[in-house]
Amino acid sequence: MWRVSKRSALAALAAIVALTAPAAAQAPPAPRAPSSRLPAAEMAVSPAVSLRPGGQAPAADTSRGRLSAPQMAGRSRAPVVARTDDSLVKAIEQQLRCTCGCNLDVYTCRTTDFTCATSPAMHRVLLARLDSGMTSAQVIAAFQQQYGESVMMAPPKHGFNWAAYFMPFVGLFIGLGIVAAVMRGWFRVRPRQPLEGEAPAEAGAAPTASDDEMQRLKRELERFEA
Amino acid sequence: MTDIGNIALWIALLIGLWGSAVAFAAGRSRRADLALSAERSMFAVWGLLALASAALMKALLAHDFSIEYVAAYTSRNLPVFYTWSAFYAGQKGSLLFWAIVLATFSAAAVLMNRGRYRELMPYVTAVLLVIITFFVAVMVFASNPFEKLGFLPQDGRGLNPQLQNPGMVIHPPMLYLGYISIAVPFAFAVAALVSGKLDTGWLQAIRRWTIMSWLFLSVGVVLGMWWAYVELGWGGYWAWDPVENASLMPWLTMTAFLHSVMIQEKRGMLKKWNLGLIIGSFLLSIFGTFITRSGVISSVHSFAQSNVGWFFLGFLVLAGVASFALLAYRWPVLAAEARLESMVSREAAFLFNNLIFLVITFSVFWGTLFPVLSEAVRGTKVTVGPPFFNQVNIPLGLLLLFLTGVGPLIAWRQASTANLRRQFLWPVAGMLVTGALLAVLRMSDVWAIAAFALAVFVTVTVAQEFVRGTLARHRQYGEGWLLAVVRLVGRNRRRYGGYVVHLGMVMLFVGFAGMAFKSDTEVTLKPGQTTEVRSPYGHVYRFTHQGISQYEQLNRFVSAASLDVYRDGKYIGVMKSEKRQHMDSMGQPTFEPSTEVAIRSDVREDLYIIFAGSVQGTEEAVYRITINPLVWWVWYGGMVLALGGLISMWPTGRAPTPVKRRADQAGYVARVEA
Repeated sequence: MWRVSKRSALAALAAIVALTAPAAAQAPPAPRAPSSRLPAAEMAVSPAVSLRPGGQAPAADTSRGRLSAPQMAGRSRAPVVARTDDSLVKAIEQQLRCTCGCNLDVYTCRTTDFTCATSPAMHRVLLARLDSGMTSAQVIAAFQQQYGESVMMAPPKHGFNWAAYFMPFVGLFIGLGIVAAVMRGWFRVRPRQPLEGEAPAEAGAAPTASDDEMQRLKRELERFEA
Repeated sequence: MTDIGNIALWIALLIGLWGSAVAFAAGRSRRADLALSAERSMFAVWGLLALASAALMKALLAHDFSIEYVAAYTSRNLPVFYTWSAFYAGQKGSLLFWAIVLATFSAAAVLMNRGRYRELMPYVTAVLLVIITFFVAVMVFASNPFEKLGFLPQDGRGLNPQLQNPGMVIHPPMLYLGYISIAVPFAFAVAALVSGKLDTGWLQAIRRWTIMSWLFLSVGVVLGMWWAYVELGWGGYWAWDPVENASLMPWLTMTAFLHSVMIQEKRGMLKKWNLGLIIGSFLLSIFGTFITRSGVISSVHSFAQSNVGWFFLGFLVLAGVASFALLAYRWPVLAAEARLESMVSREAAFLFNNLIFLVITFSVFWGTLFPVLSEAVRGTKVTVGPPFFNQVNIPLGLLLLFLTGVGPLIAWRQASTANLRRQFLWPVAGMLVTGALLAVLRMSDVWAIAAFALAVFVTVTVAQEFVRGTLARHRQYGEGWLLAVVRLVGRNRRRYGGYVVHLGMVMLFVGFAGMAFKSDTEVTLKPGQTTEVRSPYGHVYRFTHQGISQYEQLNRFVSAASLDVYRDGKYIGVMKSEKRQHMDSMGQPTFEPSTEVAIRSDVREDLYIIFAGSVQGTEEAVYRITINPLVWWVWYGGMVLALGGLISMWPTGRAPTPVKRRADQAGYVARVEA
């Protein structure tokens, strides 16, 4: 989690970029009652489209405490408990892939895709394993045993999987080698002398400067440096 | 309309085949009549595809549910605004969209180059017609947008709610435009290889096309990030999904090309490399299409799986083999015209910059395909997700950011020690001071420190270029500061547009680095209950749950959870996150409920709130409250990037006289010593 030092550092960065003006604060409105509803305009039903012909639409208003159409508000949720939001739980879940096929990690899926039943189930299993005294490494190992390596968000670092991590850097070094070889070839094969029709190579000279241009350049540089 | 569309596709197929053959024949025989026939074939194909597109659009707008595609992606109560996006929301429609856009670009390329590049144009026409014909053939034989249902449903299934977002109306076309427009530079490259006209003519012809492709890809990618951020609700904008990767790879190679082409233009070097980059970019754009449509790699963005992907794989292999065989054939005549004079030169810096672009492209490609490889080699599936890509690409990305600053500062040919000292003093000082400051303040994320320090380094390099150029103009011509800046940019658009692009990249990297400090909190609140969250900047946000309202709106039923938000005790507004249950015109729910995120953004951090659901049908709500630092920089960085691209590609009008050119470039000339 974020520490005091990070806050200071980010604040300093914001000062550096000189763009830290706070968003215009609005005048505080009159305190709203906790159960107040949205403005009428936001609740307006489009006259053009009736969702339920024959007046079958659920009432727009809801009584305090219960929703008039709970089935329309997505999957019913259990209250968040401290364990659910625990940083260790999050850290483990962020390493595990939800097996529903969404390609998200368990934490992101269960807090994003609210139609998924898989990630909440994996979350419950994870909590149970932690409660049974398993360490985070053991929990992850248990998930791997259960679902295979594909349950990890990144290939576990062993055997053939190392190729995944090494190859980009192998590519970098091979590329560097090729570039170095090509450059050496250029240096060796082609002597250091001006090309045909080219002005003598002086450091920083324009690639194809004529005498007139060189004179002009000199004058301009003198003025520029003055 | 179905019949008209079908017939138009069939005729386009036949004319495309004819045109391709006759264009190649025109190139070989140099017969003007054949070349003219090929050109007319191109225009005819464009007209027929426009007719087919109009037929599909009319069917979509008229709710002709006898057509399978219309029934699958629209419904009677779908707003007209999104009916347009249904054109390319599904596989079949997107193929037609691709074909008509490619035909439009191709016809424009032929029109714009009439009477020019006479030896290239027949082959250019031929290559473009082959690509268009391929797309038409895929539609006709495997994925016909005019395929009929055996019955007439009362209503269609409707558009996926996540696609009912303004971002989705703009993002896919932009990305498609980027992908598709690469075909034009590719056609010129192949034409140069086939014809043997390998001078800089083909490069001049594609200069604006390449910047345009790059610009469309850039805007498409950034808009895709924005759509993912505001619509998918997972709290980020880049998940290293295979389809996201597929859009990134051609962008990387095109960016590499935009740098290396300068070396060929100025020094006659890197000819093979540039041809390879253009060919590679085109193949990667087809590879992206293959990934999206084959189902070989699992992705949330994929179209429905079908055999269409294998058509693309076949085309990809054929195009790759043919292109690289041609490159190999011409290899001996593609020798560099100049030599590299020093490792400390702009040429060398660009070469390293290209290498890093290519390595990042390779790492993305490798990571995307590694699950397939692992299964083939070991029989074991693995997942290659964000932890892998971040681990591999963050160091490479930072190296690239460093080279972004270095490249423009080093002189062409050979930089002197004095030049290096003069150019690098302030940027390096800025970088070191920033890094030291952040370290002293105990910012713990090393990569973020490096990113912020390098961001300052590149910013100072760009600022330095602008300041020196402006000063030179001011002193030499007595122009006011503003006029001097405007003229400096206006008269050297490609150069200074490029610097603006670099600034955009800096802003993007700052935004990416900010995500290292992202924080998530889950909380359950009853109406009137309050929770507090501390942001990375130390602000204390207080959220008071107002309750959940339910109401109908357009084609959906909305459950909206609202929070009063206070920052450091000061009221800053209401934030409302929604669950939307979309309905068909019969009032029946379609699709699963989707989530609308509440976002409050400023330059420092985004408040990102998701209404996760209600507790057992009550107004007690579960929220995920995410604080994302510096996300603003990503969106505005994208805008600056696009602005720089526009400046670079903006036409300069008539060619200036040599005297006028020298005067115009005074700021640049005065810097040549630097």
